[in-house]
Amino acid sequence: MNLALRVAGLAKSYGSLRAVDDVAFDVERGEVFALLGPNGAGKSTTIEVLEGFLRRDAGTVEVLGVDPGDPRRLPELRTRIGVVLQELAVEPYFTVRQVLERNAGIYPRPRSVDEVIDLVGLTEKRDAKIKRLSGGQQRRLDIGLGIVGNPELLFLDEPTTGLDPAARRTTWDLIRHLASEGTTVVMSSHYMDEVEALAGRVAVLSRGRVVALGTTATLGGRDKGEARIRFTLPDGAAVSDLPIPVSRVDGDTVEVRTANEVDALHALTTWAQQRGASSLGLRVTRETLEDIYLTLTGSGVDEPARSES
Amino acid sequence: MAHQVKFEQLAFWLNRVGAVFTVGFSVVFLVMLGASAGNHRAASLGGARLVTYYVPGFIAYGVMAAGFTTLAITLVVRRETGLLKRLRLSPLPTWVLLSSIFVSTAIVAVVQALLLLVIGRVAYHVPLPASWPALVMAVVVGIVSFSAMGVAISTVVPNQETAGPVTSVVFFVLLFLAGLYFPVPAGSGLAKFSNYLPVRHLILAMDRPFDIPRGVSVWAWHDLAVVALWGAGATLVALRRFRWSPHRA
Repeated sequence: MNLALRVAGLAKSYGSLRAVDDVAFDVERGEVFALLGPNGAGKSTTIEVLEGFLRRDAGTVEVLGVDPGDPRRLPELRTRIGVVLQELAVEPYFTVRQVLERNAGIYPRPRSVDEVIDLVGLTEKRDAKIKRLSGGQQRRLDIGLGIVGNPELLFLDEPTTGLDPAARRTTWDLIRHLASEGTTVVMSSHYMDEVEALAGRVAVLSRGRVVALGTTATLGGRDKGEARIRFTLPDGAAVSDLPIPVSRVDGDTVEVRTANEVDALHALTTWAQQRGASSLGLRVTRETLEDIYLTLTGSGVDEPARSES
Repeated sequence: MAHQVKFEQLAFWLNRVGAVFTVGFSVVFLVMLGASAGNHRAASLGGARLVTYYVPGFIAYGVMAAGFTTLAITLVVRRETGLLKRLRLSPLPTWVLLSSIFVSTAIVAVVQALLLLVIGRVAYHVPLPASWPALVMAVVVGIVSFSAMGVAISTVVPNQETAGPVTSVVFFVLLFLAGLYFPVPAGSGLAKFSNYLPVRHLILAMDRPFDIPRGVSVWAWHDLAVVALWGAGATLVALRRFRWSPHRA
């Protein structure tokens, strides 16, 4: 197996705050992998350790086979990775072409500047001052700066935070295109839809720990297709009279969770028919990725903001 | 390295407001003050024309503006927008990244000094320095020390919005106390106070190569030592507090 990333037992604290605690995951080459979690969950800290920006306290990390904590090998590693930060790190007074040329000059095997300009969809704006670009265009340029060094692995830290919906879509298209070219992408996000749209696999972080790891389709047992059946108890019936096991009762409202909704519904409606009840107020729902995410991370997360580095 | 310095220069001159503030100010001040008060003779200068005092004064101003104000604001803005961090994460060696910024600062200060010398000579008949080596020495010590102070103050400025106001206010108060705009009589309370600060000493160190005041050595060792001491202190602060990544809310 050809791994782009290997992370095991990773830990990093800021003072008494354990920002990242025993985090482990692998990423294969060519994958789009997402770190998902609320603010303060440890996503940025994890990425900064992988980029070699922060020193870890414990654990094993290999990025493209290299330990980013090894100062002798870090310069070589930095020619092989691309980094896009949360901040729009673009200089306002340069033109698109100037800033790309500047950064291309830093790398040993850069992509051609014209190719990058076309790729990020800024062909029309190539000689425009950066401060005249829209937020979405600046973000695409920002990603262009991340790939101008022709990286094998691209880190994207919350690539669409603060963008309007249209700009988010064009940014997604760009990320999909890069992935289709074979660039391994490791991204962080706190948007469910973004992760579902882009990533093959995802690690959900909460309070510095990985609370779930898997493909977006299987996350948190989602693929097992557990359905939620909710209904209102008919007059004169007790919960103990019901023919199927019950998960939750809230006043008259009953909730049943089951993997076999056909049998459950059949038993329930047959039972109601025999009692002469004509309406149960039946609702059948399925968990969305959002439900699973909120269950995993605990809603109403209120943690201290990520500390300084 | 040359690649980086080239882009640093480009970044400086493309930012017109910054370029005007740094270079334009000193030139405009020299022209205005030279035209209005330049031919007055000041007793505290041994009867020399005021304009001969303004040329070295504004060379000192230029050195300080480039090293202190412009460098500090540049560093804060780049830190807070993530530019410093992004370059830190690129294969560009850290020393190239930082030294290209310092070299660019020095180029701006030197260009400005030459401009002032030429304008002073052509427009106001201010004599060229009596000692070039002494002037170069003062400019070099000034650039290095005030760049260190610029880095140091950039570490205490929390965000881009306050970078300009904080550094400018500190700078202009220092300039006023140091008597850039009007000669401060030696022995006055103001002179005693600003003796502990670096600005006045740099101005005095610039005066001497122009033979102001007359009849003393062109080498202002004491003044240069005070400036260098401030530079050394600032370097310690800068090394302890410098950071690459932005503050996040």
